[in-house]
Amino acid sequence: MALDDVFGDIYANVDAVALFSPSGSYYERLIGADEEVDVIVFATENDVGADAFVELPIEFDEVEERVKFGIEGALEQELIDDGDVLACATEVFDGSIDTVSRVRADEDDRLGIYDLFAKSRAEPEVIKSVLELVIELGKKGQKGKPVGALFVVGDAGKVMNKSRPLSYNPFEKSHVHVGDPIVNVMLKEFSRLDGAFVISDAGKIVSAYRYLEPSAEGVDIPKGLGTRHMAGGAITRDTNAITIVLSESDGLVRAFKGGEIIMEVDPEAY
Amino acid sequence: MELQVLIEEPVVVAAAVLILGVAVGYLVGKLNKELLTAAGLGEAVEGTPFERSAQSLGTSTVELVARVSSWFIYGIAVLTAIHIAQILDTDDFWIRLTQFVPRLFVAVIVLIGGLIVADKAELVVGERLRSVKLPEVSLIPQVVKYSILYVAVVIALGQVGVNVTALLILLAVYAAGIIVVGTVAFRHFLVSSAVGIYLLLNQPYGIGDEIRIGDQVGIVQEVDLFVTKIESDAEEYVVPNRKVFEDGMARVRD
Repeated sequence: MALDDVFGDIYANVDAVALFSPSGSYYERLIGADEEVDVIVFATENDVGADAFVELPIEFDEVEERVKFGIEGALEQELIDDGDVLACATEVFDGSIDTVSRVRADEDDRLGIYDLFAKSRAEPEVIKSVLELVIELGKKGQKGKPVGALFVVGDAGKVMNKSRPLSYNPFEKSHVHVGDPIVNVMLKEFSRLDGAFVISDAGKIVSAYRYLEPSAEGVDIPKGLGTRHMAGGAITRDTNAITIVLSESDGLVRAFKGGEIIMEVDPEAY
Repeated sequence: MELQVLIEEPVVVAAAVLILGVAVGYLVGKLNKELLTAAGLGEAVEGTPFERSAQSLGTSTVELVARVSSWFIYGIAVLTAIHIAQILDTDDFWIRLTQFVPRLFVAVIVLIGGLIVADKAELVVGERLRSVKLPEVSLIPQVVKYSILYVAVVIALGQVGVNVTALLILLAVYAAGIIVVGTVAFRHFLVSSAVGIYLLLNQPYGIGDEIRIGDQVGIVQEVDLFVTKIESDAEEYVVPNRKVFEDGMARVRD
């Protein structure tokens, strides 16, 4: 076919095929069609039971972010090597795979989003749940009004020692974990409180109403962000926690690790 | 007068009993089916091999159980009819049969129930263990399945009057073995979880407190049912909860 001559370059001589959220039959078809090529599946759940699988924490709406996160993860899991060329099959328009792009994996190009999940103290599941929760909160707000929120995830013992209570802790002597069905509603109600939520490595909500007292020395975050982001960024330098911050003014969700912004997403896009 | 004679005719009475039996059996079957469906049996057995093989035969577990109860009543009706009509004039046979049929019925139900419960248990245990990526672990659901099947078969055989003493002894040895191995292997887990329940309920220390358990001093990072994780500057200790009661704990104040 003439079209193959033109578009064939896109997938010619690739080291691996990257499938983003494929359906089971799509995956089977590709595996059956060519046994030589490596197939790596990227999705939020490994529904197709692929051997080479990279978990996406959320369905990134931006294709670029989705692909970049996936490649970082694949590099980290050593499914691909630096410099490998991938044919990335993703969905852009109508819910099934409709786009193939040719991408070169580059070690130097990393944003550290994958590290945020896979290499933090807290369990990836916990970070994923918190991120989903914050995105949800950003989308809906509190009774229609935009809210801000600050979640400190992991290394809770240290975080508690570097913060003080603003008021009584509503989670005192409770055993609530993020991801429990009731939690979303509860946290939405509590999000109007000032201060930070502290969440342990295993996802237990340790406290709300915390005033963070890290030393803000050497924290490099963009100018214009308020005290919430400053506190959130600074605590990740002082401890091994990560923070996920929902901005009240611009509605964006930002994640910090090691005192730096790792990720910035717009909740409206999900 | 003629009607009177007709009613006293054994064949006619037998026929009436037979018709009544068929009607009652049919109704009981229907009722059972409704009840079982309402009780959610259909969903509970979904995905078990028994249900799947029932499906492939064009029926379902609910239907099968309902039909067994119908057959049971048909059977009783037929036997009663035979007795009334005095086709087989053997009282001894009759007595033994009336004792045997209900037992057979219970045995069949136990067997079907055992099959379903075994399959379901295999599925549930397998599902629970799916995150454990260890090839040997796939043995556990099988063991659970066949243990349940074994018990069901022993009960069913006992019902129909087969001598099951040897099988029972085997079962007792097996159960005793599991209990002994379980208590030896999981002794510490049991103690730790008992202490863990106390720790979670009373919270003598919480995340962020600096404590000492035995020789380990550090900040509490996590408390769960079995272990407490405490962290010092250089090391993170995973302390089994039973240590808290054995060695005691102290909160460090500065």
